Amino acid sequence: MKSYCSLGYLGIFLPIAVIGYAFLPKKYRWMFLLLCSYAFFWMLSKKLLIYILISTIAIHYIGIWLGFIQKERDEKLSTVERGEKKAIRLQYQKKQRLVLAAAICFHIGLLVLLKYSPFLAKNVQSLLTMLNVPLKIKIPKFALPIGLSFYTLQAVSYMIDVYRGTIKPDQNLGRLALYMCFFPSLMEGPICRYAQTANQLYSGEAVTYHNLTYGSQRILYGLFKKIVIADRLNLLIKSVFSDFIQYDGTVMLVGAVLYTCQLYMEFSGTMDVVIGSAEIFDIHLPENFQRPFFSKTISEFWQRWHITLGLWFKDYIFYPVSMSKRMKKLTMNARKKLGNHYGPLLAGSIALFCVWICNGLWHGSGWNYIFFGLYHFFLILSGSILEPTIRRITDALHIKRDSKGYHLLQIGKTTIFVIIGELFFRANGLTAGLAMFKKILTEFSLSSFVDGTLLNLGMDLYDYVVVLLAVLLVLAMSILKEKGISIRDMVASKPIYVRWAIYYSIIMLIIIFGAYGEGYAPIDPIYANF
Amino acid sequence: MKEKINHALHIFFFAAGFVILLLISSAIVIPKNNAKEAGMLEINPNGILAERNHSIDVLVLGDSEAYSSITPMQIWEQEGITSYVCATPRQKLDKSETFMHQAFENQNPKIVILETNLIYREFSTTHTLSQLLDNTFPVLVYHNRWKSLTSSDFGGRIQYTWVNDLKGYIVHKKVKSISPKDYMKTTDEAAKIPLRNKLFIEKMYKYCQDHGSQLVLVSSPSAKNWNYKKHNGIAKLAEEFGLEYLDLNLYEDDIAIDWSKDTRDQGDHINYFGAVKVSEFLGKYLKDNFHLEDHRNDPMYADWFESLERYKEKIASAK
Repeated sequence: MKSYCSLGYLGIFLPIAVIGYAFLPKKYRWMFLLLCSYAFFWMLSKKLLIYILISTIAIHYIGIWLGFIQKERDEKLSTVERGEKKAIRLQYQKKQRLVLAAAICFHIGLLVLLKYSPFLAKNVQSLLTMLNVPLKIKIPKFALPIGLSFYTLQAVSYMIDVYRGTIKPDQNLGRLALYMCFFPSLMEGPICRYAQTANQLYSGEAVTYHNLTYGSQRILYGLFKKIVIADRLNLLIKSVFSDFIQYDGTVMLVGAVLYTCQLYMEFSGTMDVVIGSAEIFDIHLPENFQRPFFSKTISEFWQRWHITLGLWFKDYIFYPVSMSKRMKKLTMNARKKLGNHYGPLLAGSIALFCVWICNGLWHGSGWNYIFFGLYHFFLILSGSILEPTIRRITDALHIKRDSKGYHLLQIGKTTIFVIIGELFFRANGLTAGLAMFKKILTEFSLSSFVDGTLLNLGMDLYDYVVVLLAVLLVLAMSILKEKGISIRDMVASKPIYVRWAIYYSIIMLIIIFGAYGEGYAPIDPIYANF
Repeated sequence: MKEKINHALHIFFFAAGFVILLLISSAIVIPKNNAKEAGMLEINPNGILAERNHSIDVLVLGDSEAYSSITPMQIWEQEGITSYVCATPRQKLDKSETFMHQAFENQNPKIVILETNLIYREFSTTHTLSQLLDNTFPVLVYHNRWKSLTSSDFGGRIQYTWVNDLKGYIVHKKVKSISPKDYMKTTDEAAKIPLRNKLFIEKMYKYCQDHGSQLVLVSSPSAKNWNYKKHNGIAKLAEEFGLEYLDLNLYEDDIAIDWSKDTRDQGDHINYFGAVKVSEFLGKYLKDNFHLEDHRNDPMYADWFESLERYKEKIASAK
């Protein structure tokens, strides 16, 4: 069971989980889901299950501790005079902050130790070598439990939400454990908040015919994206990115465009399978994608792509940094000197920098990921800085900014920026990324389109046609959704023979045109490695 | 309640429709011949499909050790026994079972040899389920044939005509020598065979018994893959099920594998020169122990001599 799109998950694990859950009395269902989730974790990471167990127990007691401090504070506040209240609040806030900081350090420290210590050690070693320091650092190597980056963020968000008083600390360890490790979202997210899913998971709602069909439809759509498109592109992308030296800039460009397409189809397809799986249990996980390639700016793109990660960074890094006392003071001063547009940008850009460094590093421990983060920081910041200038230019040229043509231009520009970013994201290191980008700029020729090079990269003409038609189908579905049309409701309103014909068609499209079996190498879950 | 029954019926009929679609699409995409040009996969083991009905005496199942060590044409030339090797790289026991069932559809081999290297190879329930689905609905294996479908695929008759003159053997003449250390050093320890694998052996043994055949375990010479611990594990298994077991690694004097000349990859597999020695020994073993008929004077088997000629040409030109 390597991925959510595998036979092991969809053909064995999920059906057993659904049947077992459906036949159990309501009060035992959450226990069964928890058991299934730990079994799932065990199958993928064996004894590394201990990490998530420790993390769950830790946040449970930290939450209770924070709740206890808050209760003590409230009791004290009710007995003192008004003038003393501020001091008491500060005193207890300090206490809470200390507990929270220790707990966050523990979780993030574990993440850094397991995921980033080899990268840090390698760089320190390079620095020492450069400085001629005769010291040899042992590069540590740890086995990573599945979904570490995802459940760590969930754990941190739970503790911060308790600290902020947004949620009450959960006294029920089982409910919290299920929130931390619900099997559909364990490997690749979405990164859920306690308030979004904990009670849904615990309530043990029945499996209904409606949920079963809607969930299955969503799973099918996800499989279509993953197996027909993403997997079909895999051989070509592997060849282009591993042997980029032997190809020209045209192949690099095609590789970058197709990789962006693959990443979207793989990740959003898996999310469809994940959200569809949860929907069968009447659990509604937050959406992670909202048609990102219709974005007019990079900033909007990141509000539509990996939404739950973006929101996490916004709530737990951007706001705390930009709303801190120092930043507020900085904004005030800057506003006086730079005006109402550029003044707040200064503090905002510092917060934004923190977000994008973390975003880059979250995706992986490598310089290309840091570059990926900084690249988006630069694009978003420059977008904000240039906004008034662009507005003035478009006004002077009488260009209607709300016209369809202008929007298409913006979408095109954003897509190009995204593709460049993904090239660095996928490249085998920053040096390779830069070399590939240089090739696009300096070795671009149309000959690869006609001399057959593109047909010798693991995809024949039929494969290109299938990918093109499948992408057009996904595009059509996305346009309808963007217009607010619910395709699933539309299908559900049709007579049974039409509905079944549509379902059979999608299933057979996946079976016939899916890139699996002899001659194909299915892509491993990309985001499971993050 | 009525609604629940209604929903259950919906699910049932939808699933039934799906199965029918799978069967129809399977009938369309399944190769109509066993040749590579017709889209057939795993053509070496599937070459058995073109063999005349009930003409194979010995069926060999296994992984790369089997198709590297046993050359049926050598056994034919020497003993007049017909054999076929249905082996694939890294074969797992559920796949061996599939090949065995496929072979028994048209053949009635008296002996089924199972090369033992694969007995230690673990596989998952998912692998077995996938194997089962592939066997039931060939569209899951041959779906990619949509690229090369012709009008004859729609309703055309299946006719297997490609005869594999090497009878499943894969020739390698390359030499990459080794001086094995501690090869087959005796020990009392026995390697553990996974339970799932044991259950498959039991199933295959019973299947052979029910079809009047005998399952024989054979270990090919391999300085890299084989050792005495594994030998003991298989010997124990053979004893448990009452199976014949021949470990060719123990006959150093009789077979005389020279690891400086008879291996193609430093002891992992033997090459053609080693396979000739092994097949000579195995042929004699089969004749002496199972009294298999010599078909060399039977005109029904004349095509085997034709294959032998072509086999020799292929061996001569092989590298």
